[in-house]
Amino acid sequence: MTNDQHHLSGAYALDALTPEERRAYEAHYPTCELCLAEVNDYRETAAELAGAAAATPPPQLKTNVMAEIATTRQLLPTLAEPEVANLAKRRSRIRPALVMAVAAAVVAVLGTVAGLRLGQNQPSVDTLLAAPDAVVTNLEGDAGAVTIVWSPSSQQVAVVANNLPDPGPNQTYELWFVVGDGVVPAGLFIPESGTIAQVLEVTDVDAVGWGITIEPAEGSDQPTGDILYRGSI
Amino acid sequence: MIAAVVPITLGGLGSNTAAQSSANHPKRDSIANVKPFRSRKPAAPNVAGRSGQPGATPDQDPVADSLRRAGNGDHEAFGRFYDQTAAVVYGIVLKVIRNPSLAEEVTQEVFVELWRLAPRYDPTLGSPQAWSATIAHRRAVDRVRSEQAARTREERDAQHQAVPHDNVTEEVVIRLDHERVASALGQLTEIQREAVTLAYYGGHTYRHVAKLLDVSEGTVKTRIRDGLVRLRDLMEVNYD
Repeated sequence: MTNDQHHLSGAYALDALTPEERRAYEAHYPTCELCLAEVNDYRETAAELAGAAAATPPPQLKTNVMAEIATTRQLLPTLAEPEVANLAKRRSRIRPALVMAVAAAVVAVLGTVAGLRLGQNQPSVDTLLAAPDAVVTNLEGDAGAVTIVWSPSSQQVAVVANNLPDPGPNQTYELWFVVGDGVVPAGLFIPESGTIAQVLEVTDVDAVGWGITIEPAEGSDQPTGDILYRGSI
Repeated sequence: MIAAVVPITLGGLGSNTAAQSSANHPKRDSIANVKPFRSRKPAAPNVAGRSGQPGATPDQDPVADSLRRAGNGDHEAFGRFYDQTAAVVYGIVLKVIRNPSLAEEVTQEVFVELWRLAPRYDPTLGSPQAWSATIAHRRAVDRVRSEQAARTREERDAQHQAVPHDNVTEEVVIRLDHERVASALGQLTEIQREAVTLAYYGGHTYRHVAKLLDVSEGTVKTRIRDGLVRLRDLMEVNYD
């Protein structure tokens, strides 16, 4: 903690720091009694400045907001703040170009698969991709790439690929969350003709990466096969 | 060079002529990592909750009540929360962004974010008004610092277009708040007032404010702080 950071409380409360300074200050002030008290205080004062700028919003805005929240899932109340910050970091890593590329890949795969078996109850990979906290990760492996789309708030993961080898009789692919001290199962999937576009329901895990193995048909609690695909979030 | 002096008279808050931010930070941080904050007053009924009464406890504050219910997934309650806070949220977003259609888009994003975050709002950590204003202001600032938004602002300024801000339909109470804040701003030193308003209403970083005012960055940081302290004291006195 440098003395200089104490002087940033006012500028922080007014969002007048650069992104780098903001990140540094957010790592500091919750642990600094003086800064925390000042930031809290200045935010209330800033809210009064906001009140003085009040203006009547366009009438259609409420309709649009209510329509959007009708299909927007709320965050879980139990997540601690640091995890919220982590979600924010994950989200900031999504590059629009990558999202577009994945969206195109998803459309291509869905186009292929749709005629096979996904005519009803189509897993909404594209809906997941549109989630505000969607994290897209491309996993590298010997047999090409697998794309993972994860929305922690939706508690869903999509697996998208179109050239996966068959896992073999009585075997399945298993997706793993890579966490700080090991892996956690994220779900099973079996491609059809090498193609997969499947949404898996998952629990909330603070994952740092992904892994994919081939496991016995019922899946495993811990990987028994080699990690065929991996990637960092 | 002093690039802008934000007028402090009633109605003047809408005619922001601050020079353009050249800040170039297209990558937005999510507003989800806004840290919790503690309220100076458990609920500030004078900010956005127009129906709030002075001295109301958090339980009685209708804005806090709406937000608490919205946090339990109550869409109807969130609709009330929208009614209670939309003028301030839209107002500060418009103030910073200065483009009505973009401000509308950003305001919608803000309310969807408020909906998502509502289950995590903790009334012991700050007023709903400060919570929503903090999230709205950050989202607006982050958006306006992106290249495209900055370009839009420059184009608007080049055309000398005024944002239709002081709508005749605004409620009297908004104008009273407006006068109260304007009066408090008027009692700051010139450099305090400019540092606070260029940063908050103008959406500039303190480094950019230093350039605009041709003073050191250290001076701006200090003036923002003591300006905010003075504002707080003035408005508290005026309010109580």
